[in-house]
Amino acid sequence: MKRLLLIFTAGTALWTAACGGGNGIVNPPPPVGKYSTASLKGQYVFVTNGEVFSVGANNATPLARTGVFNADGQGNITAGVEDVNADGTITLALQISGGSYTVNADGRGALTLNITANGTTSSIDFGIVLTSTSDGLLIDETSNSNQASTGSGNFVLQTGGPFTVGSVAGPYIFDFAGLDGNQTNLCPCPESFVGQFDVNSAGTISTGFFDDNDDFLLSSGAVVGNFAQDNLNPSFPISTTGRGVAQIAGQDFVFYIVDPTRVRFISTNRGMLSGDAVAQSNTVPAQVSSISSSFAFIVAGSSGSGGVTRVGRFTSNGATVTNVLQDTNDAGRFIPTNSATTASISLDPATPGRGTFTFTDPNFTNAPSKYVFYLSSATQGVLQEQTSNNSGVVNVADGSITAQTGSPFSSTNIAGTYAFNWSGLSLQNGGSFAVQDEEDIVGQATVSSLSLSGAADIFQFQSAVPVFDLVASGSISIAGDGTSSTGSSSRDTMSVKLVKSNSTTINFVVYFVNPQVAFFANNQDSNRIVAGIMKAQQ
Amino acid sequence: MKASIQSRTGAFVLGIALASCIFANAQQAKQPDAQQLRSYDVSREGSLLGTVVKFESASSTPPIGAHLLVQTASGQVDVHLGNAKVLQAGHLELSPGDSVRIVGELLTLGDSAYFAARVVQKGAQAVAVRNTKGFVLFPASAMTPAQKEALRGVR
Repeated sequence: MKRLLLIFTAGTALWTAACGGGNGIVNPPPPVGKYSTASLKGQYVFVTNGEVFSVGANNATPLARTGVFNADGQGNITAGVEDVNADGTITLALQISGGSYTVNADGRGALTLNITANGTTSSIDFGIVLTSTSDGLLIDETSNSNQASTGSGNFVLQTGGPFTVGSVAGPYIFDFAGLDGNQTNLCPCPESFVGQFDVNSAGTISTGFFDDNDDFLLSSGAVVGNFAQDNLNPSFPISTTGRGVAQIAGQDFVFYIVDPTRVRFISTNRGMLSGDAVAQSNTVPAQVSSISSSFAFIVAGSSGSGGVTRVGRFTSNGATVTNVLQDTNDAGRFIPTNSATTASISLDPATPGRGTFTFTDPNFTNAPSKYVFYLSSATQGVLQEQTSNNSGVVNVADGSITAQTGSPFSSTNIAGTYAFNWSGLSLQNGGSFAVQDEEDIVGQATVSSLSLSGAADIFQFQSAVPVFDLVASGSISIAGDGTSSTGSSSRDTMSVKLVKSNSTTINFVVYFVNPQVAFFANNQDSNRIVAGIMKAQQ
Repeated sequence: MKASIQSRTGAFVLGIALASCIFANAQQAKQPDAQQLRSYDVSREGSLLGTVVKFESASSTPPIGAHLLVQTASGQVDVHLGNAKVLQAGHLELSPGDSVRIVGELLTLGDSAYFAARVVQKGAQAVAVRNTKGFVLFPASAMTPAQKEALRGVR
C-alpha cells in the first residue's frame, strides 16, 4: 500500500516529466457529435490486456480481463461478470454488481464497473470511445487505493442470445496471444497460438490445426477440444451471459460468446493467453490462384532486444506477391523495408484458410520473412510471424491481415470522425527512476483536409496515474496505397501532438486498410514501441 | 514473487560460477553479420568482467531500456540490460565504480552491436534479465493481445 501511494504521488509529475516544461493546463473544446449516454445500451463483451499494480506487490503483473457488462442507456451498469488472469493467477466469474458510465457527444466517455467478491466491492475504471453503438475501444484507467491497472481492449455488443453451447458451431479461426504457462525457463514468456478448428453443435472440436510460437519455439499440430457450460459457476449461465468453458488443444479457457460469429477467450490453466475466435466463411479461397488482392498487415510482440512491431502491406495476384512494404520497430530501431525479393504466398490444402506468406527483406537477406496466416474470409485473417535465422525464430509476434480496399486514399475519403487507440512500451519517468513501461491511449479525432483535432486519455503506467482529456491534433500525409513502384515514397504517415500541461508529438507510419480503418506504428523517436488502430465512427 | 526471484538468482549465481567462457573482447569482436546474430543463441554466451562506467535505467539508444557502460580490460562495452524494473524487483542497484560480471552475448540491431545481458552479477547478487531464449524479461509485449483483438474488431 505504501509503495502504491508513493508511486501515485511520484507519478503526478508524469506528463510534465515526460514532455518537458510548461505551465498552463490545456483542455479540449466541448465535444461535438452524434453520441450520448443512450448510445451505450445493451450487453457488451469486453476485453483488456495490460498490467496491474496491486497493494503489497513489488512489481506490476501482466493482467487480462474478459467479461460482459450490461449498460442501461441511462448511465448505469446493471449487471455483468468478468474473469481475470493476472500472470497465470486466475479469478473466475467475478460479479459485476453495478457501475456507471458517461458518453460524450464525440463518443468518448468513462466506464466504471463495480466488482463484488467475498462480500466486498471494488471498482475498475476505463476510458472508452465508441466506434458505433455496437462497439468501441477502451483502456483500463484504474488508479485507486486498491490497485492501478492499465491495458488496451475493446467492447462489442452481444447479440444472438439466449445462448447455448450450440450457439458456437462450425469452422472458426483463432488467435490467442500473451504469456505461456512455462514455469521453468524464467517464464511466463511470450506465446502466440493461432489456428483453425471446427466445432459441432454439441460443443465437440474434432478437427483443426494450430501454429504455436512459445518463447521463440515453433510447433504445430491438430486441434481437438470441446465447449461446455461452466457448471462450477451456475450464477452466470451461458444462456444470459454467453459465458462457458472450453478446452482447445490441451489448454483450458473461459469463453464469452459475442455472437455466433465471434467468441472471446481467456486462458485458465497457468499461462495468460487471450484472444478471439472468428467464424470462418465459405469465401475462404481454396486455391492460391483465387487470391487477388492487396493486403495490409500488422503484428506485434517480442524480439530478443525487447518489444517489436511490424506493419506493412503487399499485393497478391495468385502466388505472385508484389509491392511489399514493411516498417519494423525492433526495440526502438526502425527498419523500413521498401522492396522484397522471392515474395510468394501459398495455401495449405489440408487446413481451410491456412497459408504462408514469405519474402526476402533486403535488410535481412539471411532471415527471410515468414508469416503463417489463417483467413476467416477472403479478406480478413490472423497472422503469426515465423521468421527465422540460423539461430532460430527471431520474434514472438502476431496480429491481423486485412484486404486493402477503397484506394486511392485522399483527403476526400479519409475524412470524418475516427476513434483511435495505441498501446505498447515507452520510456517513462514516473516513480523512483525512469524505465520502459506500458503506454495505452484512447481518443477521438475529427479528420478534415487530413488534419486531426480531438481529445484523448493516456495511461503511462510507471506513474500509476492516467492523464485525461489531452488535446490531440496532428496531420496525415497520404502518398498512396503502397502499390506504387516508388517504394519508400509511397508510405503514408501521421503525426499526433498531445497537449495537456505540456506537449509531445509522436510520428507514425500508417497503412490504410480502407478509408474507415488504418493500422499504424511509430516510426521515429526511439523512446516508444507502440502500434494501434484508427477506426471511423459509425 | 520476491522469493521466486531470489531462488532463481541463486541458481544463476551457481551457473555463473561454473561458467568457463570469459568474454573479454566484445568491443573488439569482428562486426557480426546482422542475420547471424540477430536472435539470441545461448550456445554463443560468454561473460564480461568490468567496472560500471555509467548506468541508464531508460535509454533511448536502441534497443531501448536499461543500458550499462562497462569498462573492461580491453575497452568499454555497451550492455543492454532490458527492463530496469527487473533489476528493481531484484533489488540490484548499479552505480559507477561497481564491479560487475555480465553473462550474455553480442547481438546486432541494424548496423550497431551491443552486448545483450542475460544475467547481471554484482558481488554475490545476480539477477536474470533475459531467459535462455533471449526474451527480455517483463514486460516485452509491444502491443497487447487485447489491442490485437481490437484490430480484428474491424468488421
